[in-house]
Amino acid sequence: MTAIRVPAGARLGGAWRILADEAGKGLQLMWQRRAMLVVAAAAQGFTYLMIEFLIGGGRLDHAVLALTLPAYFAFSLAGTAAMQGSGGIAEEVNAGTLEQSHLSPARPTLLMAGRLAALATEGLLPAAVVTAAFWAGYGVRYQVRPDVLLPLLLTIIDALAYALLMAALTLRVASIGAVVHVFNMAIMFFAGMFVPVTIFPHGVEIFARLIPTTLGVLTINSALAGRPLSAAWADGTLPWLLAHVAVLSALAWATYLHTLRRARREGGLSPR
Amino acid sequence: MAIELAGLTKRYRRGRGWLTAVDDVTLRVPPGQVLGLLGPNGAGKTTTIKMTCSLILPTAGSIRLNGYDAVRQRSDAVRQLGAVLEGSRNVYWQLTAWQNLMYFGRLKGLRGHQIRPRAGRLLSDLGLWERRNETVGSFSRGMQQKVAIAAALITDPPVILLDEPTLGLDVEAARTVRHWITHLAAEEGKTIVLTTHQLALARDLADRIAVIDSGQIIADLPTADLLARFAEDRFELRVPGPPDGLAAGLPAGARAAADGPSSRITLPDARQDSLRECLEKLWARNIPVLSVSRAQPDLEEIFLRLIHSGDAAATARTAAAPVVPS
Repeated sequence: MTAIRVPAGARLGGAWRILADEAGKGLQLMWQRRAMLVVAAAAQGFTYLMIEFLIGGGRLDHAVLALTLPAYFAFSLAGTAAMQGSGGIAEEVNAGTLEQSHLSPARPTLLMAGRLAALATEGLLPAAVVTAAFWAGYGVRYQVRPDVLLPLLLTIIDALAYALLMAALTLRVASIGAVVHVFNMAIMFFAGMFVPVTIFPHGVEIFARLIPTTLGVLTINSALAGRPLSAAWADGTLPWLLAHVAVLSALAWATYLHTLRRARREGGLSPR
Repeated sequence: MAIELAGLTKRYRRGRGWLTAVDDVTLRVPPGQVLGLLGPNGAGKTTTIKMTCSLILPTAGSIRLNGYDAVRQRSDAVRQLGAVLEGSRNVYWQLTAWQNLMYFGRLKGLRGHQIRPRAGRLLSDLGLWERRNETVGSFSRGMQQKVAIAAALITDPPVILLDEPTLGLDVEAARTVRHWITHLAAEEGKTIVLTTHQLALARDLADRIAVIDSGQIIADLPTADLLARFAEDRFELRVPGPPDGLAAGLPAGARAAADGPSSRITLPDARQDSLRECLEKLWARNIPVLSVSRAQPDLEEIFLRLIHSGDAAATARTAAAPVVPS
């Protein structure tokens, strides 16, 4: 019987394979619950339309739709990724598979990055499909220019950082389901999904800017209205968005490493 | 050494105080040995196993797997082992058996072409090949446990940790798992640490048995030595048939009890004249003698004696300084 040794050169390639493996597992699990995903996406979309219908006094106001549809996309991504991320971790803690996955030689951050890649797909897919359907179906007019790509990318990262934060807290907080629900509701109401953030009272608007994806939605709306990114930079929205993404991402990763270390200290990777 | 635990200690904060789950455990398991780690519920077996896997950080002490420190060289250390953990699914029930093996193989850094032949062989050997594309959730408990064992073995690790591998299995599934552990130890030379409440399993499979109680190792001996240490100074005879009416014609103090289809006669001492007297009385009644041996309590009895000895420290011994029967 001999010890298993791995040459140093093989480790980098191995890391990418492990990341892809973890992402692939997430996608396989997503495929197993595809019916649930479709139902959840349809329910989210229906809720959005119904509330827009009520806000429009019995009709869908296309001007409001144009401003709130990006927020719907952001909420759908963030909400789905957070719910599935924390739910997946909680289920794996109870099933013991989280422990088995941590018997990997890979760093835990790599495993989480793979998990996030799967969550991004799981969140983006329904968000993009439903948003595109509403966009085309209701004839919402946007000025689609390359300027929208940067805020869109930053909004996606912001949403995934939020999902990571919720997943990280799952290792520490027993009633994480309720916590995720409350935060998802906050994103739903304060990130501009029902009415644009710009019509909120000033104090509420300032508070709303702290909520994940709000600044991203504001910047996307600015770009889709035909304003250049320099305008979003000049009014401070883009710099604040960059800062928000950086701080939330750093906070989420730090929380994940902290809760994981604590779980390994206290045996929290298995059922408590 | 395949596994070296030195002064391993784990304390958990409980309220304002501390709970010591594992207390200064030192174990050295050479390559190819099967160690049975026995103990009552809450004795510290699972915590010891999980610390060995690097899933729980020790408060003090060190763990080395094939020379790699499990804390400082975690990546190399975990490559050395596969584990089936207690009370856990261990594998993804929503995925198929094949998907699980591919996932766990890649998770340990293997490539697809390295995993496929081994996964195929493991699934064939475990009788799961025909059902490899079915989700594990649709399998029986025994089949699920087989997939968990296959997943633990997918990288062909030299060290295998099995925490209650037969828990909740029916007789046939438990027998398959038992057969596999024997195969891994005898034919593949794996180093195995086995925790179980089924003491007969430990007796049959383990080369060596360590008993842990209240976080401390209170006995650590080769299985045969442990049984011999507790051998009692009296004779046992086995005769065919039920014990009805048997005791009446035996020497004073002898007891007869049913033991499967035969009967076991226990003499009060190990004197040769008592044995001769008993044999003569049996022959006089035309009762054939199947076997004569020194009385030996089974492992369950030894285990209970050890953990109820009241003074664990007094019985704590290593293989170098063997346990003394209480």
